[in-house]
Amino acid sequence: MSLKSRSAPFGYIGVFVLLTIYFMPASVLGADVGNCLLCHKYPGLSRVDENAQMRLLYVNEDIFSKSVHGKVKCEGCHTDITKIPHDPAKPVDCLALCHIIEPTSEQKFTHKSVATSLEDSVHSKTDKDGKEKPFSEDMPTCKDCHDNPMFRPLSFVKIVRPGVAEDALGRCRVCHTQEEFINRFYNHITTRLHKSRSPLNIAESCARCHDDPELVARHNLATTAGGSYGQTFHGKAANLLDESVPDCLDCHVPKGKSVHQMYKNKDPRATTNKENRGKICNSVDCHPGASAQFANYKVHAEFDKKSNPVIYWFTTFFIILTGGTLLPLMAILFLDLLRRLFPNASFSRRKEK
Amino acid sequence: MKCFFTKLYVLAFMGLVVFFSVLIWKLTFAHLIHEYHARKGDVSVQHTEEARQKKEKGKQTFDKMILESEDRVKHYLGYRVLEEQRIKGHFHHIGVDIGPDNRSYCRSCHGDMPHDSVKDIRAFLNMHAFFVACQTCHVKLGEDEKTNVYKWYDRKTGEIVASPVNGSAPGTYQAKIIPFVRENGKLVRIDSEEMMQFATDYKENEKVLSEGQKSKAKKVIHKIISKIPVKCEECHTKNNPILPLAELGYPKTRIDSITSTEVVGMIKNYTEFHMPKMLSPGEKSVTPQLQAEPLLKQQSEAPPKEH
Repeated sequence: MSLKSRSAPFGYIGVFVLLTIYFMPASVLGADVGNCLLCHKYPGLSRVDENAQMRLLYVNEDIFSKSVHGKVKCEGCHTDITKIPHDPAKPVDCLALCHIIEPTSEQKFTHKSVATSLEDSVHSKTDKDGKEKPFSEDMPTCKDCHDNPMFRPLSFVKIVRPGVAEDALGRCRVCHTQEEFINRFYNHITTRLHKSRSPLNIAESCARCHDDPELVARHNLATTAGGSYGQTFHGKAANLLDESVPDCLDCHVPKGKSVHQMYKNKDPRATTNKENRGKICNSVDCHPGASAQFANYKVHAEFDKKSNPVIYWFTTFFIILTGGTLLPLMAILFLDLLRRLFPNASFSRRKEK
Repeated sequence: MKCFFTKLYVLAFMGLVVFFSVLIWKLTFAHLIHEYHARKGDVSVQHTEEARQKKEKGKQTFDKMILESEDRVKHYLGYRVLEEQRIKGHFHHIGVDIGPDNRSYCRSCHGDMPHDSVKDIRAFLNMHAFFVACQTCHVKLGEDEKTNVYKWYDRKTGEIVASPVNGSAPGTYQAKIIPFVRENGKLVRIDSEEMMQFATDYKENEKVLSEGQKSKAKKVIHKIISKIPVKCEECHTKNNPILPLAELGYPKTRIDSITSTEVVGMIKNYTEFHMPKMLSPGEKSVTPQLQAEPLLKQQSEAPPKEH
């Protein structure tokens, strides 16, 4: 039997399967239409590539289905994969047109607007004149800041708490019948009504670059921003998982704009520009009524003798004052209690009468 | 009696005072000392013109390439905390933690991702190495040596354990399959304590051994390895597969999946055209792209991959 005649039935089956998938209603399909998880569900599917980088090819289906991309089919991002077994996949282009329709424009969805914002921001690879910036390879690309974003749903029915409100879902079910749609819509909306990442996670993400001393030096930045944020009251509260404290984005992104629209201090659009800095702290959610001067303190001052001697000695003085007052007090209390425990104890021998 | 309770009361207060003293110490002077040492240990930012202009391209230290390439991260989702390993540039969440195989003496040289020679299928082979011990595929027992006994061992403790298959997602087991052989009429696992000790001694003394001694030791360690390992189709078949899947705790649905037309068909029909070596990973490929030495021959003769 020739190769052609042998493979013919597979061809017909393939066409039939593709047609069935194409005409199947979208709701029936999960993200794994191509049965990619047949192999990619195994956590050990991995290799070390030619650049000595570990390539983990595993996709955790449970987590993926709960992520914001849970409805996107594998081939929606991995567009170069058209057959199984496939060749090594090319890096995903996050700006590609998705197979998902954006409901307001009824056009295919794309992240291109993010790229436009980024190109105009402090993190762009080129300057105003279109010339490549020095060390442009340090500038972040999508995956430097983002892994697959997860939903962070909130419940509002009785109290504001993390998670999904069953009562609210019940209301959705009055009109809508598809559980998958109800859950996804609820997760999407409530995630967008607050921070999609905790302040600690945001700070950690920025710190991956901004705490790299070599990168900070190369770009002539004033401070290791993550480290100095961690020393502030806000940073310490974020470390204790407080969601109400400001993270990097709250101060560095103009209100109402995309988080990708961050600008250099000198740029008049920047929140950290001298003219705008006063408005950062007195936002209605933070310190309403605070004066412009309030935001002009050294936010990213490090506890360092060389760069910030005033702050260093001031802080050291108060630490010593606190410890120097309370520790002797504790010592006196301890000795007092010791005397109560042994009222007649003495180091000197009593004279025998 | 009253005196006793008073003393107890005073003692409790003394305990409280000590507790608060330690707390105050930690928050004040200990904090100062810690900050001082932490700052001394940090790589300080050097705002020199040289530092600004210079980026040593291509210079990758061991710390940067190996130690800093992986760390752990906690995603605070509100209703749950997703803690996982973070691999630089990896987009999908992992969400599974499987510790290293402490029992395997192969791993100390070849690492957890030992397959690299056959480029097209190395990820598939590494995937299997996650829940199948090296000896299961790389030691082909003769007809008279076959016992057809395979068991699961715990990756952490090395002990034989019950099958982890039921109730776990495929491949996410904390255990691996190891073959058993007959020794003096007794069934024993193939990775004997003596062999483990030999491999450990070799690793410990490697630096002081001569080249001849090293070769000799490697020959002993790799003595049981077959030139051609078990082929994919020998397990992915309904017709008497090498691994007794039912005895290893695989439910019927999983066995059907492993030996399904989907998997077997993918291996058999497609790989004839796309990955000729998938059917016989140990054999020499006829295609120029895959003209690699047999995987095991390389592993036994070439210096082990450093991880």
